[in-house]
Amino acid sequence: MKKESIGKILLGKWDTKTVVGVGIGVALFGVMMNYASITVFTNTKLTLAMIVPVIVGGLFGPLPAALAAGLGNVLADLIGGWGFWFDWSLGNAFLALIVGSLKLYGADIDNGVFTPKQMVIYAVLCVVGNALAFGVVTPILTAILYQGELNITFIQSMVSGFSNTAVLVIAGIPILKALAARNARGTNLSKEDDE
Amino acid sequence: MDHSAIINFIPGKTFLHKLTGESKVKLFVILIIYTIMSFDLPLLLPLFVLSIIALISLKPQWKSIKALILIVVLVNLLNIFLYWIADPLCGLEYTNDQTVLFAFTQRLVVTRGTLWYLIVRLLKMFTSFMVSLVFIMSITPSELAAGLYSLHLPYKFSSIVELAFRYIPDISRDYKNISTSMQCRGIEMDPKKVKLSVRLKQMVLILIPLIITSFDRIGNIANAMDLRGFGKSKKRTYYCEHEPTKYDRICKIIIYILFAFVVFYIVRKRVFPPITKMWIYWR
Repeated sequence: MKKESIGKILLGKWDTKTVVGVGIGVALFGVMMNYASITVFTNTKLTLAMIVPVIVGGLFGPLPAALAAGLGNVLADLIGGWGFWFDWSLGNAFLALIVGSLKLYGADIDNGVFTPKQMVIYAVLCVVGNALAFGVVTPILTAILYQGELNITFIQSMVSGFSNTAVLVIAGIPILKALAARNARGTNLSKEDDE
Repeated sequence: MDHSAIINFIPGKTFLHKLTGESKVKLFVILIIYTIMSFDLPLLLPLFVLSIIALISLKPQWKSIKALILIVVLVNLLNIFLYWIADPLCGLEYTNDQTVLFAFTQRLVVTRGTLWYLIVRLLKMFTSFMVSLVFIMSITPSELAAGLYSLHLPYKFSSIVELAFRYIPDISRDYKNISTSMQCRGIEMDPKKVKLSVRLKQMVLILIPLIITSFDRIGNIANAMDLRGFGKSKKRTYYCEHEPTKYDRICKIIIYILFAFVVFYIVRKRVFPPITKMWIYWR
């Protein structure tokens, strides 16, 4: 297989398939954020939705994953009716950019490659990504966009950082493994030599 | 979870439905900035009343949106309650009135300033919700894409939003199908007979096939779009977008006025921060 440059993997290939994949990712993220979640703190939810951008990242690359999470969060705000929080949308997009970078370290869900070593890298990235996205990016954006409300944002960041990490690691790894195994089914065939 | 009655694919007949996608999207964007920028009751209340009038003018099926409105009200009340629990003295920097009304414990006190802040905050959330609801119910996915394209966003981006919007009713349909087929296999899902913890587990069991079937459909949809020549040229037009009518021109003037006001308000707030940041507050 031809090796692609890092920049190209990062951007993703913007063909029709990617457009559709990100669109479906946005819809799933928005709906799951609303209906497959438990409120654990004010405007903060324990939700499986964060799995969706990871899958998008595994299929199409980090930037599509970030778009799926960011736009998905805006869509969730739109149908959820709890106000628009663009600081959180951008924080989620940043997190998705990091955890969705599966292709950068060689994991290829589309072709069934997801080794234990890559699982460890994924788990570490989940922790680092959450710390950066909700410890740094979101509070800064809150201060810029909404001025104030910072003390609440910090508690929200802590809660959502921990719940997101738990969901991403505990539920994410088995789902990714199952998806990879499912896609690998047709790839272990080798071409027979012609006599 | 039923969105089929709220997201419509065929343009409706009322006044708001008949505006072009461009007017709807631009008006929505400017109104959302308007609700976010302030905690001022004199700014929020008129918009709230106007959006209720707009909702009535859309002639919705009240039966289907009643449940949605109820859920949103409950979620917002819960959010506000948790917000107060987390920081009982929140909002005092806006109102600056520490008169204690009730005191439950040493920490959990309700001051007049906080109560006022929370009420205005709740109204702000409801206003945002009503504006969103009117927007969702008055627009079709194609008009949404056309409107976003008119904001000079790349059309692939508009298509992402359009597809997401179009796909929401499909998700609720798939969810119902998967849930039914699991009940066929003998899994009890009646909310009266099963405990909440078991139902949550079952929900996860439904979500995983939902995610997988959704992503399996990418190939089909992408092929259908490719066959119709999606992404072949740099620009595109939209079939649904009609010529602007008289009302669209009026809408445009309103958008310009609102835009000027929003810019003026934000700049003024940055340059001369008001001493008490929430006016109409009696002391």
